[in-house]
Amino acid sequence: MFDQSKIGQSFPSFTYQVERCKIHELNLAIGDENPIYHSKEAAQAAGYPDVPASPTTPTTFQFWGNPDFVKHLMAIGVNVMRIIHGEEEYEYLAPIYAGDVLTGVTTLVDGKSRQSKDGSSMDILTLETRYTNQKGQEVLKARQVLIVR
Amino acid sequence: MTTEAKLPTKRYFEDVQVGDEIPQLVKAPVTHLQLVRYAGASGDFNPLHTDPKIGEMLGIGGIIAHGMLIMGFLGQLLSDYVGPTALRKFGVRFKSMTRLDDVITCSGTITEKYEADGEACIAGKIQAVDQNGDVKASGTFVAALPKRGGE
Repeated sequence: MFDQSKIGQSFPSFTYQVERCKIHELNLAIGDENPIYHSKEAAQAAGYPDVPASPTTPTTFQFWGNPDFVKHLMAIGVNVMRIIHGEEEYEYLAPIYAGDVLTGVTTLVDGKSRQSKDGSSMDILTLETRYTNQKGQEVLKARQVLIVR
Repeated sequence: MTTEAKLPTKRYFEDVQVGDEIPQLVKAPVTHLQLVRYAGASGDFNPLHTDPKIGEMLGIGGIIAHGMLIMGFLGQLLSDYVGPTALRKFGVRFKSMTRLDDVITCSGTITEKYEADGEACIAGKIQAVDQNGDVKASGTFVAALPKRGGE
């Protein structure tokens, strides 16, 4: 049973420098060969100041920028070995480019327990991470739903 | 993978109509090497995605792809359609596991056109299915497009 008193709790903030090479590497893995993700020159030729973050680049902010994320989840009583990624949603508030320095704060915005079909209990957690850039501008809201069986 | 690299096409609000289909994106079969690459790139090193022994142990029969890789395919679909900085919202729900050799096809439909906060927006639904038609992920997006003569 998930401890409802943890709802509203934020984890310590983290900082992440958006790397050109990381955007290149992620899109190489996805198989997106659009040159704007692989070369600063191509990005600039297309009118961008530098390599832009591709739609799912924010996943690198979380995993590389916040290596303590798993520890924070454990601290609120989540069995991290039993997590299933249920949903992911991004709200893009301003463009993000290589070289930007982002600060992220993750908050547990919802948590509830449900009976699954086989009668066992599962917890459904919603986490929201808000990212601000080096100019203090809010650039991204990332929401994820994690199912803990 | 296609070898033909392309810049995103400039798409105007007036060019898009409710009911339009987004050009389909058919990805190459998912490979083990791709999942290893994706783990390193994303930083998600959960061995469920890279170590076949863990998959066997958990009784899910081998390794499964990162859900975020499938969302990445859908991101490519949208990036090809409107470019990366036009997106305002993009969300998916993960429906089933993707395995090695699965061939993922991404598609989408425009469901709405409206103006909000001084921006001309399109909204649509998207999904990723495998070679058997099983839905892996589905969701929605919103993008802001330029208007003709508006620049």
